[in-house]
Amino acid sequence: MTEPDRATSDDRALVRVRGLTTVLNGKTIFDAMDLDIPRGKITAIMGPSGTGKTTLLKHITGQMRGDAGEVWVDGASVPALDREQLFALRERIGYLFQNSALLTDFDVFENVAFPLRQHTSLPEVLIRNIVLTKLQAVGLRGAAGLMPNELSGGMARRVALARAIVFDPMLILYDEPFVGLDPIALNQVLKLIRTLNQTLGITSVLVAHELAVIQQVADHIYLIANGKVVAHGDPRTIAGDGSPWTRQFFGGEADGPVPFQYPAGDYAQALGFPRSGA
Amino acid sequence: MTQRRSYAVGTGLFIVLGFATLAYLATQTTSVANVRLGATYTVDAQFANIGQLKERAPVKVAGVRIGQVKSIALEPGKEVADVKLAIDQHYDAIPDDSVATIFTSGLLGDQYVGIQFGSSKKAVADGGSLALTRPAQQLEEMLGKFFGAGGAADNLGGTYTVKARFTNVGALSVGAPVKMAGVAIGSVQSVQADPVKLDAYVTLAIDKRYSQIPDDSAAAVFTSGLIGTQYVAIQPGGSPDMLKNGDELVLTQSAMQLEDLIGKFLVNGSSSGDKKADGAPSNASPAGKQ
Amino acid sequence: MRRMSPDNIVLRSLAQIGDCGLFLVAVLKAIPRSLQHARETVRQIWFIGALSLTIIMVCGLFVGMVLALQLYHVLSIFGGTAATGEVVALSVYRELGPVLTALLFAGRAGTSITAEIGLMRATDQIAAMEMMAVDPLAYVAAPRFLAGLIAMPLLTCVFCAATLLGSHLVGVHWLGVDNGTFWSNMITAVDLRTDVVDGILWKSVVFGAMVSLIAVFQGYTTPPTSEGVAYATTRTVVASSIAILALDFMLTAFLM
Repeated sequence: MTEPDRATSDDRALVRVRGLTTVLNGKTIFDAMDLDIPRGKITAIMGPSGTGKTTLLKHITGQMRGDAGEVWVDGASVPALDREQLFALRERIGYLFQNSALLTDFDVFENVAFPLRQHTSLPEVLIRNIVLTKLQAVGLRGAAGLMPNELSGGMARRVALARAIVFDPMLILYDEPFVGLDPIALNQVLKLIRTLNQTLGITSVLVAHELAVIQQVADHIYLIANGKVVAHGDPRTIAGDGSPWTRQFFGGEADGPVPFQYPAGDYAQALGFPRSGA
Repeated sequence: MTQRRSYAVGTGLFIVLGFATLAYLATQTTSVANVRLGATYTVDAQFANIGQLKERAPVKVAGVRIGQVKSIALEPGKEVADVKLAIDQHYDAIPDDSVATIFTSGLLGDQYVGIQFGSSKKAVADGGSLALTRPAQQLEEMLGKFFGAGGAADNLGGTYTVKARFTNVGALSVGAPVKMAGVAIGSVQSVQADPVKLDAYVTLAIDKRYSQIPDDSAAAVFTSGLIGTQYVAIQPGGSPDMLKNGDELVLTQSAMQLEDLIGKFLVNGSSSGDKKADGAPSNASPAGKQ
Repeated sequence: MRRMSPDNIVLRSLAQIGDCGLFLVAVLKAIPRSLQHARETVRQIWFIGALSLTIIMVCGLFVGMVLALQLYHVLSIFGGTAATGEVVALSVYRELGPVLTALLFAGRAGTSITAEIGLMRATDQIAAMEMMAVDPLAYVAAPRFLAGLIAMPLLTCVFCAATLLGSHLVGVHWLGVDNGTFWSNMITAVDLRTDVVDGILWKSVVFGAMVSLIAVFQGYTTPPTSEGVAYATTRTVVASSIAILALDFMLTAFLM
């Protein structure tokens, strides 16, 4: 079992997690986890279902607090922030929900304009320009007048992405952005993630299962299992680091060293029955 | 956004409509004058029978509202109801020999106190009293003071029981009020049929505060209004001896007579026509619906 | 997601009432913050108030018509048909108006509030607002609560007016009660303070607060599943109806 190397905590890390321990309903989600997200890079977080990947994102945005340990985002300790500071931080973080989470009352334009209207009092012309720019960036300027229920899954996710970047955030968290997309839509989203990172330098955190896709786009991969980082590194080298974890996970082997980490009860959890953590 | 504006306009219209209806309901379907409670002064008036008069009932002069009834009380040991009238201070020139009368608005309407001006040069002052009163006009008398106030006596703080026999109690039920001069002084404790005498044997529980009822008083079963519940009315006699616990009222008047009277009054109208000529302001025509 | 709660139905109801009370405090605290979302409140008044107008007016009309019909036949026994208008007005202002409007409001607007908020939860819209640094209590809960509070008295007034119209149609135009008598008896009998202010306004404000609180609470706390949303919608109607009738008794006893 390889401990994560603390030497990776260089000063360029935008998000730094130290000794994070979280117990939810009696189940240990994180057990003294250490993790660094470097600035300007695309970092993928992978791991078996139910290992708390989404929960980790919630810790970064302050929606959840750990029982012990620290989470630093851009030099600020997230658990120590009060509500206003937290909201100020969140304005600088984009979050792409798995099911897009567009506001069903508003059309596409108003959905993208929503954060602007809530946090600024910009003139209508400026709001319109910003929104149309963002919609153009995701290729949906023509869909501005549609309602969310008229959009396909891939379009909805691109609109949600346009909304997430409307304030030009320093960090975008993607929660399973490729789930349920056909290959075309998947490649469109993938292209957007890469473009946003390369052209705007937005630090990106990707929670996903699609190994082939991740290897195309990610600069760095963290493999989480059993509440700890079990492996991390460059996408090309991580699979070959020889650890049984990576061999099993990236090889997609049904059986290997991981299964003894999966007691029968946890398998039921992975199917989403009691106390799902992720 | 046009979408946003249409919400705003629609909501505005809705709010305006709501307030317009409120204004309509408040001004066009209510008597706004009822709530005007400016500075008032109080005048006493004592009535032999207040009938159905209630607190907050209007006080009127020439049909115009000038105040309201502030309180109604029955002095223990007296046979009269003491009514305090709160009169608007704008109307401070009421002659002290004016007559206070209890009128009814229509056949089924509420009762109010009407003041008919006298000729005295002196105006009645705050705390003063109107000595000349008329309990009610002929219409009520004819209908048997039947427009008596509803509700049993409040908070019976100790009672004594009196018995009375009636040949017919009508629909009199246990708990029905016992009244004197229209004011509740007790309640009916039990109604039983006497298997031997073949009449109704009624026990009345009377508040101990009203212990000075002459023992030759009469008990009658009356009805509150035409459609109201029945109650027992005590009409005081002149005996120097007072009723004691367990006494029996000998003089009773059964319910049947009242209903006969009303039936006659409503159906024929003719038999009571001459009585009405006594001056009752009867603006309700007897319904010929039967 | 099912709340760990005692099995006893009494304790469970008490726990719900307690949670609801705490939620009310949270919503009340969020009201000052919700003032920056005044547009949203306006939008909600439109959705839960203005769009309920049709059902309120139609129901009010029929209630007035049937009341006039029933009362006319009872009153005609005593030759008191002239009192039709006054009895309709008094019964509607004091009881039927606020209570029926609140029940209709719970069915029409309360359920839609619960279902809407429940679905917003199920589709992560609430979480998305949190992430966009928008407080959902101030943006979702408080505007709906305020809108219910504002819309209910207005709807009750409209309901009462529709009732008068309905009873006028039946009483005066169909059954032949004299028009002048109809109105003048009503005007004499109805008191502005006890009937309009205590009856229509007070009761409807309390009912409006109660129904919208229950609706928002149920939507906000429901498990974010389609089953949970359906169940919460049902509970909104049941809890609102019980609360309305129980409160009506207490308010009547208290105000009279």
